Amino acid sequence: MWRKWRKKEKKNKQSTLKQSNQEQEPLYNNITDNENQLRSIYENCSDVIVHPFTIGGKHQAILLYIDGLSNTEEIDDSVLSPLMKATDSDQEQQVDTLIKNTVAVADTNEATTFSDCVQAVSAGKPVVLADNSSTGFSLGLSKWEKRSVESPDAEKVIRGPREGFVETLTVNTSMLRRKIRSPKLKMQSMEIGHYTKTSVSIAYVEGLVDKTLIEEVTNRLNRIDVDGVLESGVIEEFIEDDPSSPFPQTLATERPDTVTANLLEGRVSILVDGTPFSLVVPTTLYSLLQSNEDYYRRYIMATATRWLRYLFLVMSLLFPALYVAVLTYHQEMIPTSLLISMAASREQVPFPALVEVLIMEITFEALREAGVRLPKQVGSAVSIVGALVIGEAAVSAGIVSAPMVIVVAITGIASFTIPRYSVAFTIRMLRFPMIFLSGTLGLLGIMLGIIIIIVHLATLRSFGVPYLSPMAPMHFSEIKDVLVRSPWWKLNKRPRLTGKYDKYRQSSGQKPGPIRGKE
Amino acid sequence: MIEKGRISALQMAVLLYPTVVATAILVLPATTGEFAKQDMWLSTIWASLFGYFSVFIAYRLHSYFPQQTMLQYSETIAGTVPGKLIGFGLLFFLIHTNGMNLRDYGEFVTGNFLQQTPLIVTVASMAFVCAITVRGGLEVVARSSQIFVPVFIVLFLFIVVLLIPSLNPQNVSPIMGKGVAPSIKGAFIPAQWFNELFLISFLLPYLHHKEKGLKWAMLSTALIMITLIITNVFALLLFGNITSSFTYPVMDAARYISVADFLQHVEAVVMAIWVTGMFIKISVFFYAIVVGMAQWLQLSDYRPIVFPMGFLVIIVSMWSAPSLQKLSHFSSTTWPFYVLFFLTIIPILLLLTAMARKKISLQSSNVERRKS
Repeated sequence: MWRKWRKKEKKNKQSTLKQSNQEQEPLYNNITDNENQLRSIYENCSDVIVHPFTIGGKHQAILLYIDGLSNTEEIDDSVLSPLMKATDSDQEQQVDTLIKNTVAVADTNEATTFSDCVQAVSAGKPVVLADNSSTGFSLGLSKWEKRSVESPDAEKVIRGPREGFVETLTVNTSMLRRKIRSPKLKMQSMEIGHYTKTSVSIAYVEGLVDKTLIEEVTNRLNRIDVDGVLESGVIEEFIEDDPSSPFPQTLATERPDTVTANLLEGRVSILVDGTPFSLVVPTTLYSLLQSNEDYYRRYIMATATRWLRYLFLVMSLLFPALYVAVLTYHQEMIPTSLLISMAASREQVPFPALVEVLIMEITFEALREAGVRLPKQVGSAVSIVGALVIGEAAVSAGIVSAPMVIVVAITGIASFTIPRYSVAFTIRMLRFPMIFLSGTLGLLGIMLGIIIIIVHLATLRSFGVPYLSPMAPMHFSEIKDVLVRSPWWKLNKRPRLTGKYDKYRQSSGQKPGPIRGKE
Repeated sequence: MIEKGRISALQMAVLLYPTVVATAILVLPATTGEFAKQDMWLSTIWASLFGYFSVFIAYRLHSYFPQQTMLQYSETIAGTVPGKLIGFGLLFFLIHTNGMNLRDYGEFVTGNFLQQTPLIVTVASMAFVCAITVRGGLEVVARSSQIFVPVFIVLFLFIVVLLIPSLNPQNVSPIMGKGVAPSIKGAFIPAQWFNELFLISFLLPYLHHKEKGLKWAMLSTALIMITLIITNVFALLLFGNITSSFTYPVMDAARYISVADFLQHVEAVVMAIWVTGMFIKISVFFYAIVVGMAQWLQLSDYRPIVFPMGFLVIIVSMWSAPSLQKLSHFSSTTWPFYVLFFLTIIPILLLLTAMARKKISLQSSNVERRKS
């Protein structure tokens, strides 16, 4: 049965390929044939404009572009008017050369097939076709409405660059190019998606990056065969090592400085048109727990923040589970006075601790989700409902106990200290199985849960790099960038697994100090 | 080769440490104290000599057969049929011992924390977790132990530091009041824990840098010795001569901790230590069983037999003893000889045979060379 199904799928694929064969044909030598063919390709496309005109009053020609994607003023000024006014001084001159010489556009490319034309036109480049010539010219005059560069919403910093990627790929690549001016920064581009034809760029720094890694990334991207790519998340799901893992195996960021730092460590970035989020591979758990700001502020404070983050990572995973375990199985661990007050506040609550925690945590998750989706005007209403109804009223109504509200609040805050939303979300979701385990087996259940999570993390790889490195497998020299944020003048080596081609990023012995011997 | 992953020498050391310490830390002060009384910390030093010796034998055998585990080279050395017999004995021993480990764990947890939970639930849940890990391969076992062992050591030191106020240094004297004999007598049972280090034979073939193997294994043994000396000294200074009457002296020691009326009843921390350590110990044994079984039956992959072997280990753990008392009686009377036989005597015999064979073959080749 499976085989049959597979065959059917193959047939389907072939039929879609046949449809697009029409576009593969080369251009005709006759302008009317070309025009008819193009008009049939763009049948019922009211936004496609086919404009017939004559070059120098002699040669028939057409101009093809999509309204709103191309700069019409520029078309009028530097394409149409020069071409129409062109005088053919030399009778022998071919129409191709004439166009080439007259059009005042820097980015001019030849198009020989219909698919070339279609591609150029969909990218916003107007195409000029002339009679008696089977070559067209695509002109780089694309211009469409784009969002201006703004500070990224999802990754805010206090100190650091405030620019974030936008939806336009060319703007994003230009931002990277402005940061790394060396020609060693390479960008390979490709198109993914049958219909969307989304352009995707693979950025890397030559000489720092492992060549097999680029090959692997290119292979995995080439394997993708979908209708459309709307966001880098679609690509992420196709190129992951372990698709069933709850943990993200790529780093999605909208900050050019984060991408630059990763490129300089020998990683590869995948930029996708139409989304501000670019992917960085390979990634590790620890790099997902770091914020770029760690590297911009004083290293001692950055280390302290990092530890705070690790502590709250554990809290957001375990705090409600610990509460349940202690309250259900290990009451003796709580100091007596605290136990008494907790027992007093729980006296009216009709539910066991497990149910109580679940009610509150699920409500909290719902509140958070509602807060993200709702328009700003309604958002404040949600927070009022959350704070008053769930915080105050639920306690005074005796549905939940006051300590429970504290637990939920701390857990919620803890999960927001994780700088990457994707990991924070994973941790938040994993806390539900932990709550169940602690409700059934107490502290032992929590330990088993932790063991399973760690074992899973130890199994994971992201593009060949162990997810838990450099802690497991352990490399003492790299731990200084995980447990602490060591000062810049100590970070002489690149990470071993991605930066082995150029080990040293700076010369050693750059520790600054006062000038001695001048009183 | 059946295992495709490779581990570093450090990872091997990190695997060995909990393999011995996890069970020893909890029950060893009691069993040692029975014979050695106030000299039980000395016993650990004598016992550790067995550990160094065991590692040394495993390493020598490994240098003769660098790509093989004990199951494979026992066939090469002793011939196919005796080799298979040795292999069967060893596998039986490993399964039995791992069943006992699992039972130890289950009894500890149900006895101290989850009195109403059936034994089979705790045992099976742990076996399941270990099976998942072993299925992931040696690399996964090694990496997870690299995460857990530092936590293990930190928690251990946490308890040790908190116990300092309640210690009574008088308990340690007279040192060697009755000569060396009691401490050596007391060393016999802990020596068998150190003999478990022979499991290194299942890890050595998969090292990245084989030349570093011996150094790190010795370092690991030394660290184990230090940990167990600390455990014994603290148990002794806290309880004196009554140490041997506790089932789990460290557990009872942890009950003594009370700092500022706030930090008290940290038994849960002991359990955390025990569970993480036990998890690695059972996983290492489990890994040895599964790889050994696959090699013994000449399978191409060990992953399919992980879960079946897990069931077997669970069943053995339930059948190995009717109660905790019988179990600890067995592990302090019969089991030491059992370990000694499979993990010391047989390897020594194998090593001697291998050396003799090598000499003979060298001689014969020399003779042939002279003839020609």
